[in-house]
Amino acid sequence: MRGLLNRIRMEMQWPCFWFSLGLFVAMGLLTALLPKVLGNIHEMFERLPLIKPLITALLGVDPGDNLSAQLSQAFLWTHPTVLTLIWAWELMYCSRLPAGEIDRGTADFLMCLPASRTTLFVTESLGWLSSGLLILTAGYSGHLLATSFVHPEMRLTLRSTLMVLSNLAALYLAVGGLAFLLSALSDRRGRAIGSVFAILLASFLVNFLAQFQTWAKQVSWLSMMEYYRPAIVIQNDAFPLADIAVLLAIAAATWTAALAVICRRSICTV
Amino acid sequence: MPILETRDLSLSYGQRRGIERVNLSLESGRIFGFLGPNGAGKSTTIRVLMGLLRAASGTASIFNLDCWRDGAAIRRDVGYVPGDVRLYPWLTLARGLDFLSQVRGRDVRPLGMELAERFALEPKLSVRKMSRGNRQKTALILALAHRPQLLILDEPTSGLDPLMQDQLMQCLREQAQAGRTVLFSSHTLSEVEALCDRVAMIRNGQIVEDSSLAELQAKAPRRILLRLTPDSPPPDSLPPGVQLLWKPDHRQTGTPLTSAEALLLSGIPLEHRGHTWVLQLQGSCTPFLKWAADRNFPDVVLGPPSLETLFRRYYVTDSTAEGANACAAC
Repeated sequence: MRGLLNRIRMEMQWPCFWFSLGLFVAMGLLTALLPKVLGNIHEMFERLPLIKPLITALLGVDPGDNLSAQLSQAFLWTHPTVLTLIWAWELMYCSRLPAGEIDRGTADFLMCLPASRTTLFVTESLGWLSSGLLILTAGYSGHLLATSFVHPEMRLTLRSTLMVLSNLAALYLAVGGLAFLLSALSDRRGRAIGSVFAILLASFLVNFLAQFQTWAKQVSWLSMMEYYRPAIVIQNDAFPLADIAVLLAIAAATWTAALAVICRRSICTV
Repeated sequence: MPILETRDLSLSYGQRRGIERVNLSLESGRIFGFLGPNGAGKSTTIRVLMGLLRAASGTASIFNLDCWRDGAAIRRDVGYVPGDVRLYPWLTLARGLDFLSQVRGRDVRPLGMELAERFALEPKLSVRKMSRGNRQKTALILALAHRPQLLILDEPTSGLDPLMQDQLMQCLREQAQAGRTVLFSSHTLSEVEALCDRVAMIRNGQIVEDSSLAELQAKAPRRILLRLTPDSPPPDSLPPGVQLLWKPDHRQTGTPLTSAEALLLSGIPLEHRGHTWVLQLQGSCTPFLKWAADRNFPDVVLGPPSLETLFRRYYVTDSTAEGANACAAC
């Protein structure tokens, strides 16, 4: 397994470093700048009415005419830049085995090593978990560093931050599990990435439309974003156990299904 | 006990044909040639053996272990080179050997470096900078470096220059002498003829021949060039087992040769073509030699058994045969 982990390190260390740095910078800048930008949010709501539903969709709660200090911090954790960086990393990483390997023709080399498919998948998953830990830690570090430049009243408590971070980690696991499953079902990496992206986009759209459409509200439980609501976590100051449980269940189910598919499927390159 | 065995192995790619009831058996210490035209099912069979594809029916076993269920255990002692070699762009031979040493749990670097020298490959060159031939050499070295009991090579000479092909052949002979087994797939007959003890031919997903090279040579036809004197009458009959392929009055004088005729007449000096017959002998040479001895031919050339002809006969499909007949009618 050490050799297989080294292979992952060789391939992914630099992309992981750049994504971590990106998230570190993005979360640092957003932590420092968002309170200033969102301080005048009511003017923005007046000028661009579409902004409010967008923020509502992102936060999961109606921010009213003015964002509170805490809600503006919640906005950081749902900011499209943050989610895009995390998901882009996940889509890139989790679509490697087997779709990426088949796509670039290296599946024969990798899958003809004296390692079972379970070992290959578990190794790949260990890389996914450890890289996720690194990336989320980098983002959190950026946020932590930048909070020293924020007015103390605007800062989140450590407890709130860790609760949101736990929810984000659970979302990371759910999206990664889904990406692994779609990669396991596909021979083309682009198709796997496109499918996960479409599901994430649909999740976001359902959350957005749920504010205006009854049907969307009725099916919003299907959206992954329904279970990641930092604003509500911060507002209620309660650990989002149910949301995390749902996301972890999605992660466990999709990861297990991905493992089952990988172990049973034929690897066709013709 | 055979080192590799398949029984009624079948697989299809949806509507497309894969392989059908493939039966193979390999004894250890032999070089086994697996011949077939492109798309015949060679790579599919090999990919089932390597546990990449799951057979729809039948069984495949290596070292008496099931190829699908016990793939990881089997691959510990198998070296494999796929038909279309693709490696990680960042990989160098040196890194590959380090990687395989870790994965295989034994140091494969000494033999790997020795092979790199033999195949004239720079160990620090990364795959992204390698030519196709060098990528092929890298894959071969990585497959050979752990001294596997069984080597499965899918068209391993593709991309190699003739000198390296010779080097590979020599290397594979040494492997067989050391008691290891080689499954060598190719669509080039001469390679298989020069290397293998036993040959299986696959066509349209089915094994159409599985014999030792000696048995195949006994079945293979020989080409005979029979030169007549310009003034002597041509023979009115041919001995049993001999078939006339070409004679000068089959065609009008002065018309250009077709490619098939040119192939038949290759090696015959131009001045003799007007009175040379091309024959094909199937079976024992004795009746023909007796027949020829009774006639006063100025020159008779009896060629070696031509596996090429046998090979072509096996591979000609109904459609190509129809096409050939249509051309002949023209």
